[in-house]
Amino acid sequence: MSSRQARGEARAAYLLLSPNLLLLGLFVFVPLVGAAVISLQRTDGFGGGTFAGLANYATLVGDPLFWRSLVNTTAFTVLVTPLSMALGLGASVLLNTVLPARPVFRSVLILPMAISGVATALLGVLVFDENTGLLDLLLRAVGLPAVPWQSGSAAAFASVVLVTLWWRVGFNMLIYLAGLQGIGPDLYEAATLDGANRWQQFRHLTFPLLGASTFFLLIINVIFSFQVFDIVFVLTGGGPRNATSVLVTYAYDTGFEVRDQGYAAAIGMVLLVLTMAFTLLQWRGNRSRDVVE
Amino acid sequence: MDLTRRRFLAGSAALAAPLGLAACGGFAPAGSQASQAAGTLSFTTWGTDAELAGFRSVIAAFQQANPGTTVDLNAVPYEQMFSNIDAQIQAGNPPDVFRVPYYTFGSYAGAGQLLDLTPHLAQDFSGRFTDQAWAAVQNGGKPYGVPHHTDTSVILYNKTLLDAAGVTSVPTTPEGAWTWDQLLQVAGRLRSSLPGAKYPMAYNWQGNGVTRWLSLLFQADGRFLAEDLKSPAIDSAAGRAAVDLSKRFFTEKLVPANDSVKSTTYAADTWYSQTSAMVWGGAFMLPDADKTATFEWGATYAPRKVRGGGDFGGNALVATAKAKDPGLAARFLAFATEAEQQKTFCVGASLLPTRADLVQDGITFDVRGELTKVFLGQARQVRASDSGQVASPSMSKIITVLKDQLEQAFVGGRSTEDTIAGLSQGIAGATGA
Repeated sequence: MSSRQARGEARAAYLLLSPNLLLLGLFVFVPLVGAAVISLQRTDGFGGGTFAGLANYATLVGDPLFWRSLVNTTAFTVLVTPLSMALGLGASVLLNTVLPARPVFRSVLILPMAISGVATALLGVLVFDENTGLLDLLLRAVGLPAVPWQSGSAAAFASVVLVTLWWRVGFNMLIYLAGLQGIGPDLYEAATLDGANRWQQFRHLTFPLLGASTFFLLIINVIFSFQVFDIVFVLTGGGPRNATSVLVTYAYDTGFEVRDQGYAAAIGMVLLVLTMAFTLLQWRGNRSRDVVE
Repeated sequence: MDLTRRRFLAGSAALAAPLGLAACGGFAPAGSQASQAAGTLSFTTWGTDAELAGFRSVIAAFQQANPGTTVDLNAVPYEQMFSNIDAQIQAGNPPDVFRVPYYTFGSYAGAGQLLDLTPHLAQDFSGRFTDQAWAAVQNGGKPYGVPHHTDTSVILYNKTLLDAAGVTSVPTTPEGAWTWDQLLQVAGRLRSSLPGAKYPMAYNWQGNGVTRWLSLLFQADGRFLAEDLKSPAIDSAAGRAAVDLSKRFFTEKLVPANDSVKSTTYAADTWYSQTSAMVWGGAFMLPDADKTATFEWGATYAPRKVRGGGDFGGNALVATAKAKDPGLAARFLAFATEAEQQKTFCVGASLLPTRADLVQDGITFDVRGELTKVFLGQARQVRASDSGQVASPSMSKIITVLKDQLEQAFVGGRSTEDTIAGLSQGIAGATGA
């Protein structure tokens, strides 16, 4: 290829990339830099703030509610990510076989994805309300003690995890299902001839060949979990006693209720750094995976 | 995967589409008109259907009385209202006039975002309002808004459940309202007659309604801010009494465990579902209750201790400091609080007037009109010294302190002493005292 051709291609590439770069720059990078600047200020959001250096970050270190929210966010991620992936994988394997009424089951699992997080959480309130909710009514009907989904810390946290799983398993299933359908039947035939049982086939064939899907889902689930907001905001409001307060709900309360926007931006920056650090780690892991495969 | 030109273009389009949509819808605050013609006011509010109908009728009358002027009503959902307003203020393009709850008023007035109405209003203008209403729109001794309407909580009761507990009569005058002890006796009788999963009461202090807890403090004749509106004043016998009483609601199972201040279940829903026999509720609930409640119900006054007391709820109308025609904006605010306008609005929307001439039984609600006198009587229990504290510029921060500390007391079982100490320290931190 001549250098003139190469220059021409580069120009075309930049031309085609420019709408995306412009939009990304305008709506992602500029606000990100803006948030970083605000995180160094003391501001109520009206007019220009006053420069405060790292004061907001220093306050974070000694703020118990920040640490509580960080621990909650981490616990939520650690619980929800493997559970939603395992349940999604299980469902996809089941629905990849010759199951009667397969399209119905698939639709039922995927349907929650089509509903907004807020609507999902409102449905969650109907189920988990501890006076009139469906779940406690059922528990009482069979003579079991009602669970304090709204006033008990552990139960409230569990309710957030359960609603999130209901919402997210379908998505995980869908990605795994696509992965499963890319595995040729000849491999299973060969494995059967070699005497591998169903579990051995799953363990040594299906699971390793779904590696790319697993990697993608791991990243997406962790990022989604770190950014969880709508379900917590509507279902528990971060309560009781901050048992379900997560970083984004805390940043929202700080920024828009208390109007301490500098501090809220600092919380946002911490979230950004955590998400980027995790993605970087995974990215490195993935490069080595490519070598193995 | 080979990156063909077609795939690349499809990918680019797919990536750009949501961003483009976001640019169209998400980031442009609704109603941010670029420029206004002379004689035009932009007015942003949220509202129920009845409230919006009321505002439309005020606007029509104002336009008729002031030929050549136009008021553009921009109705937004409550959830978006203040993120919209804040974004517009930050962008230097706020509406001329907007509606604001009294407890949020101070954060705008204190930050210099509202128009000082002093030069635009007649000398005797304040005389049309009750003292408590006028106190709620003051900042640094100057009016930065007009008290458009108010609301306050009384006790709504399920007659069937009260009858079953042998409570066959309720107070019929504010002076004869149940004392705290009598309220606890009534609640105790209900507790004995109701099954375990049902409760005597539910208190409407969820969300920003946490300011309604202050009613108990006022009934004990306490304050949360001293007269300088900066120093915390909650460390008092009245403060302790209010915390003690509200903690007893939970420890004695007089309210459901999920009735706490940070709960996502509203007290009204607990009452509608007959999980609780009584609920604190404002006049705004009447149309809903009339439609929703499937049982016989009535209303009585909120309890009293040293005195009667209640929350000064409701909303002010304010003009922004950057209003393009401050004189016209002020005229609109004054017009909206004229007797006929306020009466029509309050009667239709089931809200209480702020005008002195209307609070003395000057209105009757369209829905359950016979209960109007209970709400008006309760509203008269609010004192200017009570509503003036809620107008503090630090109220948004104080609300967060109240939520955090009371949640610890109600759900976490924190002691009254520790709660008072936490409240006092938190309020001092919020006001910078």
